[in-house]
Amino acid sequence: MVRPLEEMFPRLAGSGYRVTSPRDGDYNCIAWAAGDTHLWWWPGQDVVKEYWPAGVPRERTRDAFIAAFASLGYTLCEGEAQEAGYEKVAVFEDADGRPTHAARQLPNGLWSSKLGRAEDIEHKLHDLEGALYGSVMLIMKRPIPHG
Amino acid sequence: MAATPVKQTPNTPTETVEARFHRFAAAWHRDTDYLSSMEAADRHPAYQEIIGLGVEVVPLLLRDLAENHTHWFTALEAITGAQPISAADAGNIPRMADAWLRWAKDNGYRW
Repeated sequence: MVRPLEEMFPRLAGSGYRVTSPRDGDYNCIAWAAGDTHLWWWPGQDVVKEYWPAGVPRERTRDAFIAAFASLGYTLCEGEAQEAGYEKVAVFEDADGRPTHAARQLPNGLWSSKLGRAEDIEHKLHDLEGALYGSVMLIMKRPIPHG
Repeated sequence: MAATPVKQTPNTPTETVEARFHRFAAAWHRDTDYLSSMEAADRHPAYQEIIGLGVEVVPLLLRDLAENHTHWFTALEAITGAQPISAADAGNIPRMADAWLRWAKDNGYRW
């Protein structure tokens, strides 16, 4: 049985977060942040198990994750505050500077995360920080696509 | 994250492979369901214990793969030596599961 969410992410307790999907092992946090619910994105070394954008190094580094989101039109930006006309993603890193998780900003200013093979949740950005995902280390943005 | 000890209940001669599988799988889910890296999840001690159950556990893995798309790809590969997933399907979990189920059917497995 999976651990309760608030045991794994203590800052969620009392924060008003909301579970927004059933558990689903078909896609993960990076896919969800990238707007993809059909693939499991991760730069694993076994190229037949996890999707990673072509031409982006398959390595768990900040630069590789920046390049992966850059392939979707995202550029690095300064802050997590909402900006009219832009959508944002946030990448979390562990204490060794290795990416662990990504979230994307919602139109209401909150953030949405797919938690591994588990649920999607709507949350305040820093409420997932802690032992498992580490801390938010970079924010990227792109113009909201039209249509 | 610290892994939940998986040998607190010692294996006993009366514990079936199915019971051991479910015990290890529960520990694996508990500790890894929030991870995005398959490699990290596959390294978990409980996952490795499941691989150690050998060919007898394959029908249980196939049933769970068919019903829940649980990520038993590495375990199936380690136990059977096969790798039926096409690189074009990398990360597409339903297609990866279908590839394994087709391979298993073609190779006489029932689940």
